[in-house]
Formats: sequence, structure tokens, C-alpha cells
Amino acid sequence: MAEERHAERAGPPEALRRRMWRRLPSADREVAMEELDDLWHLRRDRLGVEAADRWYRRELLRFPARLWTERVRRGWAAAIRSAWTMGQGGGGVDALIRDFRYALRRLGRSRGFSAVAILSLALGIGANTAMFSVVNAVLLVDPPFRDGDQLVDLYTSDLSGTLYGTWSHPDILDLEERSEGVFSGVAASRTFVAAVGEATSPEVVVGEAVTANHFEVLGVPMHLGRAFGPEEDGPIDSAPVAILNHGTWLREFGGDPRAIGRPWRINGLDYEIVGVAPEWYTGSFPAFRTGAFVPMNMIRRVMGQEENPLEARGNRGTFVRARRAEGVSVDQANAWLESFSLGMSETYPETNEDRRYTAIATQDILVHPLVDGALVPVAGFLMAIVALVLLIACMNLASFLLARAEQRRREIAVRLSLGAGRSGLIRQLLVETVLLSTLGGLGGLALARGAVDALLKVRPPIPVPLNLDISLDLRVLLFTLGVSVAAGIVFGLVPALQATRPRLAGTLRDESGAVTRGRSRLRGVLVTAQVSLSVVLLVGSGLFLRSLLEAQSADPGVYTGEGAVIWPQLDLSGLTEEEGIAYWAELEERLRGTPGITHVGYTDMMPLGFGVQTTGLRIPGVESNRPDGRIDIDYAWTSPGYFTTMEVPVLSGRGFEDGDGEGERIALVSRAFERAYFPGGAVGRTVDGPGGERRIVGVVADTKVRTIGEDPRPRLYLPDGESYREARQVVTRGTGSSGEILRATVDVALAIDPRVVLMDRRTLDEHFDVHLFPPRMAALLLSIFGGLALLLAAVGIWGVVQHSVAQRTREVGLRVSLGATGGSVIRLMVGSGMRVVAFGVAVGLVLAAGAGTLVAGFLYGVRPLDPVTFIGIPLLLIVVSLGAAWFPARRAAAIDPMKALRTE
Amino acid sequence: MGEKQTLGEVEHHVLLATVRLGATASYTAAIVEELESVTGREVAPAAVYIALRRLEESGLAESEMRPPAEGGRPRRYFRPTAAGRTLMAESRRRFEALWSGLEPGWGDG
Repeated sequence: MAEERHAERAGPPEALRRRMWRRLPSADREVAMEELDDLWHLRRDRLGVEAADRWYRRELLRFPARLWTERVRRGWAAAIRSAWTMGQGGGGVDALIRDFRYALRRLGRSRGFSAVAILSLALGIGANTAMFSVVNAVLLVDPPFRDGDQLVDLYTSDLSGTLYGTWSHPDILDLEERSEGVFSGVAASRTFVAAVGEATSPEVVVGEAVTANHFEVLGVPMHLGRAFGPEEDGPIDSAPVAILNHGTWLREFGGDPRAIGRPWRINGLDYEIVGVAPEWYTGSFPAFRTGAFVPMNMIRRVMGQEENPLEARGNRGTFVRARRAEGVSVDQANAWLESFSLGMSETYPETNEDRRYTAIATQDILVHPLVDGALVPVAGFLMAIVALVLLIACMNLASFLLARAEQRRREIAVRLSLGAGRSGLIRQLLVETVLLSTLGGLGGLALARGAVDALLKVRPPIPVPLNLDISLDLRVLLFTLGVSVAAGIVFGLVPALQATRPRLAGTLRDESGAVTRGRSRLRGVLVTAQVSLSVVLLVGSGLFLRSLLEAQSADPGVYTGEGAVIWPQLDLSGLTEEEGIAYWAELEERLRGTPGITHVGYTDMMPLGFGVQTTGLRIPGVESNRPDGRIDIDYAWTSPGYFTTMEVPVLSGRGFEDGDGEGERIALVSRAFERAYFPGGAVGRTVDGPGGERRIVGVVADTKVRTIGEDPRPRLYLPDGESYREARQVVTRGTGSSGEILRATVDVALAIDPRVVLMDRRTLDEHFDVHLFPPRMAALLLSIFGGLALLLAAVGIWGVVQHSVAQRTREVGLRVSLGATGGSVIRLMVGSGMRVVAFGVAVGLVLAAGAGTLVAGFLYGVRPLDPVTFIGIPLLLIVVSLGAAWFPARRAAAIDPMKALRTE
Repeated sequence: MGEKQTLGEVEHHVLLATVRLGATASYTAAIVEELESVTGREVAPAAVYIALRRLEESGLAESEMRPPAEGGRPRRYFRPTAAGRTLMAESRRRFEALWSGLEPGWGDG
């Protein structure tokens, strides 16, 4: 009756039905579609076609959403139930042991696959744990200061140089006096380098001279003994006491508590040890280790200076850390510092005009505001690389588990039909996944330990002991393990759950064909992603390798052959100025007379070290953006012998001669200096700075100064006979090998005066290696990780081709029986793998082009889209992939058609 | 939660609807319509669909595929099992026991 009237349409609109079909979970589709059709009919009969369509349209969203929610709920419920059953004792433990042994047996049976999965995980987890542990230890650890969020670092600047400069002691006293109510405590510290121990075998340590309230303001309790007290804030030189760093105490006194009260020699004076700092406190700057602390009033003695550096308002070099008073925010502290700045400007116009002060929360600073800017991108870059490796490793695990799940569908079906319980099956799969991840995690732990140890061996070439007590970070280990277990569950357990779930209603149609195809496609996608990520990493390593080669072959403009550099520190050695002057003269003379040594030169700033030294120079007619009209120019004090030793030719005018510096103030400039400031010729012109007006007497050739990649840089050379220098770098050349020259140089330097401390003694090769450190590290790390990625991707490709060979056994058998040759079968199988690779390479090149422009700033002499790299890397990948696909494909060619056709 | 011991409201309603419709008419769509017409509220068909599967899995309902008496494609017809009927009765007893102490007419307004 009603049906007759509405016979114009037999069901919901086809377009809507198709949309519904696509949205429903595949297992429910057929049944649910029928139910929905039924409902539409009933509604149409009651309310008409339009209302029924409207209703159907509403259900498009609601119905599938509820079904999906239900599926997820069921999955979790099953997982929780099986975990619960596992957690219960009695028979549960027996079953667990049984599952465990079964899982071990299964992993053992497919040893190759298991090894690949475990190794992949171990590499991913290990690389991440190691890298994060290092980054964390260097950058992210907040020392456990008492109420550390109250601490601020205070910087000063006159805007001519860095914004984050250090303080002079008189300024700090003013700050302390005027800042009541803003800061509850102001602690100051000054870093020094000193020789400790006996004169015959002195050792160099970095120490800190600190105000007596240092440990109290920071909230650092002593490990042993006491902190400095008010009695140590007395007049200069009055308190020869010391607090040792925990590590120094262990090294020097074997952790003996009786070290308290014992004497310890610093720069020839005995200090009484009064305390030992806690293990976590290694000084004011994270990542650097302060070996010992002495009271601020000992600064003159530890630095071996004549003048008291605490008296001059212009003598800056003291670092200030303060504790904010209750209720004072960082912004309020900065606002107050603004007014403090005005007051100081007025009171001390000669020294403090335009001097600004800044407070930054200690916790917001990693190392130093200036260093942080460079460190954070580098650390982020490294973490991104290892994250990529973890991603690739997880893809291998996923690929592995997908393949297993497929094999397992049949096994599970059989076991279910023999009456096995679902929860038992799920539990067993869970055990296997967790076992796999745990083995991977253990491997990762071992790898991470090894990697951290290896990383620690690579020390940046700076003459300061780094804080290198790096322990593995448990949180990262757990995190990466969690990621891999999650990957295991998603890719291993979900297919398993699907396999064990009884069909919701009716329809026991076998859909394994469709599912298998879906999974193969998923594995293909995984391999594509692996290949493309590998391309990114490999292109990166290629770019940095090329960059390294360019840097190595670049001409620094100075002599880089056999030779040596030493760096005597006469002030640290306790020599007076008189003794020092005599020492330098004798050193040069005796070195010249030493057989095998042909050249000797002095400078205070070797090019291409890590240091930068500039001076404010006023050049007539040249504009500057500094308020005092000066321009920052790189400079060095040098002896006449330096230019011949380093082979820097004089281009016009004259070079330095003996006796220069005694009369008129003169200077040499580099070619780039002349070109920039005196295009008409620099010889004879004058500049103002350091020490007053100077006449330029000559122009020398350009050399690289700070980095090998820089454009020719204006540089000023000053004659070092002009004033006494406490420390100089001594460069020697000779007829023997670098090692022989170095030994001879050191012998002479110490023979003249055994007290002399050598901060540095290395061959010229070693010195010039310094500037290759960053590109070398980048190339090394990227090559390791790129290689790993390539290996993992090759394994992935091998797995996919292997699998498709196993699946297409019948087809191949048929082809062979119809006359296909072995070669054509191999081509067929390899081709199926290479399509995936080709796509991955294409995607990877696009990503790599993007990544390349991101790292362009780190490259030297190579464009981010370097054609050699962008052609070479894909070729490498394709060759490796061909190899990986070849092995399983060869097996396909060996298929016996008769056997293949008999297998079902 | 505790799905073994008691019936959820939706499950209870669905089972009641199958009984009301009788073995010859208790297919999913009909159950949805029945619930809507008796309770006067709109019912989410997916909720009924899911409830029926859960009931069947926990052995409280059973089903049978057969063509309808009037002809056409086969449908799945549901009815409560003995265990399901016991639970329904228990549920009803609990409700009536709880309601019986109240003043007549309470809650009607």
C-alpha cells in the first residue's frame, strides 16, 4: 500500500549511500548498509521521501562515528583485559611464561627479520638517547639552586660591543648598595686561569674568584666543610682559602674528607681548603667546570697581577648573578636597572656614560645569551637528525610487524577455530611486541652508552675543561622505548586485534585478499617514506662532506706546513714584568739558535683559532654606527718575525722591524683594510686607536682571520715591542717534522724558566684543524646517521621485494611455465621494488632541497642545491636499492614452476 | 562497566523492543522505529546496532538470518536468550521495588 505510493525511489540517494559506505568501518559495511536502507524505507513510509533523505544525511556523520568509537573502545577493552589477566597471579604467570617462551621461539625462527627489527630499534633508541643526553647535560639541566626561579643574571653594556658584557667591581658595590628591596642578594664571580700544584709539574685550572655571599645567594649547600663567610670579604689578599669543585676533590684528594684544612697551592701560594662544593655545582657557567673557588679578594694573587683589578671602575670582567627580592618580577628588576643606569651615568660620567644594565632570568639562559643563539639551532638540528633516524627505525619495525600480522592471520584463524580464547591470543601478541621492544631498548642502551663515550672523546678545541660528566638520560630512554612500543602496538597489535575479532554479524566472506593488498600498499608507503628520509639525511651528509673538502683545500693565506705553536702564560707563571721582558727576548734568541728551527714569530692572536679580538678604531672620514664614532677592527700584536714565519708578504710600504714600537706609534694593515678605508693607498695615513694616533707604514696580504669561509677581512697589526705582553703565541718553523719542531720549541721554553706555564702546545696542523672542527663534526655525524638510514632503508626494500616474491610464487611459477626466462622474472620483481624507490627518491629530493636551504648558513664553498650531491646521492641510493632487491628477486627466478603451482 | 551483571538502559530498552515486536518483526530497523514510537524520543540507530551486537556477544540475545514472511532479502531477527530474559526480569524487579515505596503520582507532573 504505502510502498506503492512511494515507489519512485527504492532506497536512499546513491550518492549518499556511497558516502556512507566509504565512511563505515569495513567490517561493518555490508550489514550496516542494509540496516540503514531498512530504516530509510520505514521512515519514507511514515514521513515521506524528503524527510527520509534528510534523516539519512544526518546519519552520514553520526552512524559511522559511533561505530568507529565502538571499535576503538573494544580494542582498548581487549588490551586492558589481557593486561589485567597477565597481571593476575596463579595460572596467569604460567601462561605468561608460556607466551614468553613461545614469543622467543617465534623470534628465533625468523632470525633475520627479528635481528633487523631489534637492531633498527636499538639504533633509533640509542641515537636519540645519546644525543638527547648530551644536549640535555650541556644545555637543558637547571642546577637545583634553592628557589632557582628567583635568580637573575645581570649584564652591562655601553652599546659599543656586546649587549651582554660583564661588570666592574666598583659598579657591583654601587649596585649592592642601591638595590635594596629589588635584589635580596648580589653575588659576583670572576673567572681566572691559574697553575695549581707544585712548580715542577704545574697544572692549569679554571677557577672562580667569588664574593663571600656567592654560595648563600645562589642557594648552594656545601658538600663538605663550609662556604665563605663575611671574614673572607676583607681587604685584598687577606683570605687565602679555597673551596674545591667536587671533581677536583675526588681527583686530588681521592674523596678524603680530611682534605678540609689541608693546604693547596695556586699560583705559588698555599690556600687552606675550607669546603667542597656539591657535585651538581660546577660554577657559574653550565657546561664549563670551575676547578676551585677562592674569595674575590684573592683575585690579584690568582691572576698574578700587580694592580688590584677590583679598584678600577673601567676594569670589567666580573659576572653578576642576583636573587630577586620577594614580589619583584624580572620586568620590575629591569625597570629599576634603567633608573640605576641613569644614576650611574650621572655619578661616573667618564666610565659609565650610556652604560646599560639587563637582567635575564637565570633559568632562561643556557650558557650565555650570545652563545645560546648559536647553540640552540645546532642542538635542534642534531635532535632533528636523530629523530629522523628513530622514525626510520620505527618504520622498519612497523613493516616487520605488518608482515608478521599477515602471516599470522591464518595461524590465528586456526587457533580461534580450535577454541583458543581471544584474550589469550592478544596477550601472546602483546608479549611478543613488548619482548621485541625491550630487546631493542636494551640494545639501544648499550649503543647510547658507547655513543656518549665516543662523543665525549671528540672535544671541541678550546683550552677550557668542559663539564663532561654525562650520564644517560633515563627519561629519553623511556620515551624512545615508549615510542617504539607504541609503534609495535599500532602496527602489531591492531592488525592482530582485527584478526582475532569475530565478525560483527554474519558475512563470513573471506576478505583476506583485499586486506593483504592493503597491507602491501601500506608497506610500500613505509618504504617510500624511509627512502625519502634517507635521501634527506644522505644529501645533508653529502653537502657537509663537500663543504669539509672545500674548507680543507681552501687557502687560509698563511703558512700551514710543518711548524708548532706554544702559548706561554708568564703572568700565570709568577714572572714579574722585568723577568717577562727578559724571558721573551731570550726565548726568541735561543730558538733562533736552535738547530732545526729556522723561523720564530710572536703574535697574541693566531689566525683561525677560536678567538676573536677587536679594537675600536677611529678612521678619518669613515662613518661608524658606534656612538663614539669608532669601528671594530680585528687586530693582533705581532713581532717582525711573525710575517716571515707565517709567509704573509708585505705588498707596499715596509713590514715591522726590530726596534719598532719604541719611538713613533705605527701599524700595518691588511689589503682588505686598505681597500675598504683607504682606496687611494694606506701607507702614510693615520688612524686613531689603540694608544692614540698611529701611522700606517705598510700593507700586507690578506689572511683568513676568524673562519675559513669569510671574505677578506680588514685587519690591523701592531708592533708588539710597544708594550709588555704577559702571554704570546710563539710560532716556529724548521727543517724537521712538526713533532720535532714542537718538542724543540717546548724544551727551549721550559729550559729558560721551568716555572713557565704553557696553555697550549700543538703543531701547526693541529692548530689549523680547529677551524675544521665544526664542518668535520657535522660531516661525521651526518655520515653516520645517513649511513644508518641507508642501511635501514635497504633492509626495508629487501623486505618488500622478499615479501612480494613470496606472495607471487604462483604467478611467477605460471610465468616460468609459460616460458618466462629467469632474467625477465628478476626484472619483474626488482622493478616492483624500484618503483617504490624511485618515488621515495623523488619525494626525498624535494624535502632535501628544502632542508638544504635551511643549513645553507653552515656550508662553505658549496651551494645548498649542489648538483654533485643532488645527482650522486640518488644514484647511490638506487644502486644500493638494486642490490637490496636483487637478492630476493634471484630467488624468484629459481622458483620451480611445478612446485609453485602445486602450493595453493 | 559491569556489563555482565546488569543491563544498561539502552540494552534494556532494545531487549524490550524485541519482545514487543515479536520474533517475526524484530529486525534492527524495526527496533529503532519501535523505540522511537513508544518512547517518543529520537533514537540513534547506531546505538541500537551496537547494543544488539554487544547483547549477542555477551549471550543475552540471539539472532537468526531469514527472509521476511512477506518475501524479500533475508534479514537478521533478534530475540532475548533465557539469560537475557532473566536479567530483564531482575532489572524490572529492582525498578519496581524501588518505585513501590513512593507516593502514588510522584514524578508524574
